[in-house]
Amino acid sequence: MGEFKVHQVRFFEYMPSGIRALAFHPKKERMAVARMDGSVEICHCSDRFYQEKVIPGREQCGIEALSWVGDRLFSAGLNGEITEYDLTNQKIKYTIDAYGGPIWSITGNKQGTHLAVGCEDGNVKLFEVTEDKIQFERNLARQKGRIISLSWHPSGSRIAAGMMDIIQVLNVEKGHSIHRMLVDKGVGKSRSKECVVWSVVYLSDGTIISGDSVGMVKMWDDQTGTLIKSHNVTKCDVLALSVSQSGDSLVAGTSEGTVVQFQFLSVVLGKDEKEWVRTRIFKSHTHDVRAVAEITTGVVSGGIDTQLVVTPLFDKAEVKSALRKVLFPHRKLVSCARKANLMLFQYSGHLELWRLGESEGIAEPDMSLPISRKPEKLLHLKVKGEEHIRCSSVSPCGEWIVYSTASSLRLYKLHCDNSNVSITKISKLPKVLSSASQLCFSSDSSHLFSASTQSSVHMVSLNKAGCKFMGTLKPKSGSKQPIHLLAPSEDGKWLASANSDHEVQIYDLQIRKPHCTVPTYSSAVSAMAIHPTTNCLFITHADQQMFEYSIEQKQYSDWSRSVQRTGLHRVWLDRDTPVTNVMFNPSNPSHIILHDSYMLCIIDQSLPLPDNSTQFYNQLTLRSLPEEQRKLYTHAFKVCKAFKEILCVEQISDQSLVVVERPLSDIITRLPKPIKQKKFAT
Amino acid sequence: MSKLTETQFDSSEDELPEEIAFDQSKSVALKSVKDALESAKREKTLLKEKRKKRQQLFQEQKKKKCLPADVLQEFDEMPQRQTKASDNNSDDEETLNEEETISKTLQDSYSVMRLKDNSSAISLQQRATDFIQSRLYGPGTRRTTSAELLSLSRKKGTNQGAAVEFINKKISADCKAKAEKSNKRFRHKQKLVPS
Repeated sequence: MGEFKVHQVRFFEYMPSGIRALAFHPKKERMAVARMDGSVEICHCSDRFYQEKVIPGREQCGIEALSWVGDRLFSAGLNGEITEYDLTNQKIKYTIDAYGGPIWSITGNKQGTHLAVGCEDGNVKLFEVTEDKIQFERNLARQKGRIISLSWHPSGSRIAAGMMDIIQVLNVEKGHSIHRMLVDKGVGKSRSKECVVWSVVYLSDGTIISGDSVGMVKMWDDQTGTLIKSHNVTKCDVLALSVSQSGDSLVAGTSEGTVVQFQFLSVVLGKDEKEWVRTRIFKSHTHDVRAVAEITTGVVSGGIDTQLVVTPLFDKAEVKSALRKVLFPHRKLVSCARKANLMLFQYSGHLELWRLGESEGIAEPDMSLPISRKPEKLLHLKVKGEEHIRCSSVSPCGEWIVYSTASSLRLYKLHCDNSNVSITKISKLPKVLSSASQLCFSSDSSHLFSASTQSSVHMVSLNKAGCKFMGTLKPKSGSKQPIHLLAPSEDGKWLASANSDHEVQIYDLQIRKPHCTVPTYSSAVSAMAIHPTTNCLFITHADQQMFEYSIEQKQYSDWSRSVQRTGLHRVWLDRDTPVTNVMFNPSNPSHIILHDSYMLCIIDQSLPLPDNSTQFYNQLTLRSLPEEQRKLYTHAFKVCKAFKEILCVEQISDQSLVVVERPLSDIITRLPKPIKQKKFAT
Repeated sequence: MSKLTETQFDSSEDELPEEIAFDQSKSVALKSVKDALESAKREKTLLKEKRKKRQQLFQEQKKKKCLPADVLQEFDEMPQRQTKASDNNSDDEETLNEEETISKTLQDSYSVMRLKDNSSAISLQQRATDFIQSRLYGPGTRRTTSAELLSLSRKKGTNQGAAVEFINKKISADCKAKAEKSNKRFRHKQKLVPS
């Protein structure tokens, strides 16, 4: 089949950041996810939650809340600033200081005209949303105490503000307070502390639902300003609330990691009187759930344990799907210098360059070899400034390192003797190279490709003196969306780029013009690579489909057409993590190596494709069968499940693979403290 | 008078009182009055001297606080020069007036700082994060460590295994270091000889 020496690497100490806020855009079916380090990800809800766009964060951000106003995304944080994001170019458009101290909550009204912001000093500030900016309009009546949460009534005439111990209902037009509702502090130890109303939701029928630090979800009536019903959900805090688009389902996220669903149902069958009834409990998180959002087919929750969990609600979903967890980022954080045995790890604030270790001896399959030389860290490169790294790359020869933040790009030349490592910064970069959404070196390390705005790629040639700008590759379609994947060919003639508009453009590098476009597919491209000998572009999508497109013939290859005819195996399509890297086997041109977070797979194009009736994971059974019988049962997909929680699999010289694993237990042990849960017999 | 009374007490009670001349007692009375007047005068002069000394001290302190006399003279001359030079320019006068008004209304607790030095925005953010930290992780919340959580899941899970401390090398190293520290403290406290 294929014999590889595998370097199992666990020294990439990647630490994802906890999820702080979620915002759902119902028309476009996009979910904006804000993390504690300030980064914002836009996930496509119907496309297996693929991370289409990632806006990198910055230091000291303190982001607290997100809100969509029309198609624009705003966020506010504890640094007192309101930020609007430029989603086309994946960066911050501008920030405005609200001059109210730390901002705890931001929410837009349903009409899309105004933005309300809840500040530390007790003011609810109204901002008018103009065409290209936001303008401060006025303050509503100032309250005593900080405003933790806000919610507009769908009509836009009233706002409910959750504060310490009280909930205020304010009239937007006049600014004065209509009702002041006192939240009970509870019994026991919580009586001494103030009750924090972490979240409020204002429904169209006038009910206000609040979640507080005592662990109660309370329903209030805004006509009389009194409590209708109070539900004790947990002993610790209820941190997040979200109501569905139709207004009949509510989810609450707690500190214990549980997500509780309430539904507006008629208690007695047949009668019209409806009540909010607690229906389901989902125990999907280990740590605090800080954000929940109800989408059309399910519930999305995220918290301090950094995982985005999508729980399908079977009464709403047409197709029954399993619980999905988005664990690792869908972008590559590891790049490999194939010829020099070096690996570059991208952290949020720095880069690390490691040299892989070596082992001696010949081993049997599945045996681990003793290490003769340990892997060593060669370089720790910190980013200047507060911004986080968006993308980075190391050249295959190991002599060039490049990284880009949201506003700048830096190129370094690496001199590596056996023990001495020195690095020089290339200071005179061409002016066009300001920031890149994706970076890539050509296979002979002579050129650097930098994907920038308007789906264009800048081509820069590298030599001993420095770098020289060669030209810009612009797509025919004139799309403005950012490119998230680049794939150069082995012979240096072709470059493929994939952008957020699901366009895959192939450029001819000799004339520097677009060569052809792969027909658009409905799902986003998750990984692609160009075959070294046949020059076929192999593409995998977020919904687990795969295509092979021949660049020279400008059409799909025959193998790809046969895959589409027979269809992919059900088990393959049900996998919940996307393929993030595609490689080829130098010794066998019909092999394609790909991986996702839980498996490594080699597709042999010479073998028959499996249909839905055959067993998919058949490697173990094949091993038990004798040689002659194996040929009857083998199929093209050979899956290896020896490695778990894989961040990246890369190919290095002489039949070796590097598998970078990040054990989940390592991540969990570094997370903040979870709530102590009393379990029987512990 | 006091002498008379003293002699009276010394002699016995049976004897006749002594005869004292009228002149003697008159002189004694006058003397006592004079003494009282003199003592009052002395007290007054003493007080006056004290007050004088204090006043002098205050004046000296005031002099020390003020800038030297020549610098003050310069200041007296400056506004005159400015008003002479910029008679036509009303802005300067306004700024002068503004400066005067600023210095008059600026209270003792207020001070002028540069925007760069102003770190109050960061401290507000820090206070807000401290508030969240204390509400979610502070006293009153029942929290345990993530290692504990993992160990419990391993104990209760389908493939039961040992606690995380025994598997994860880093955590076990941390635990050993902590245990060694507390042992050292115990030995030091109990004044035991380290074995």
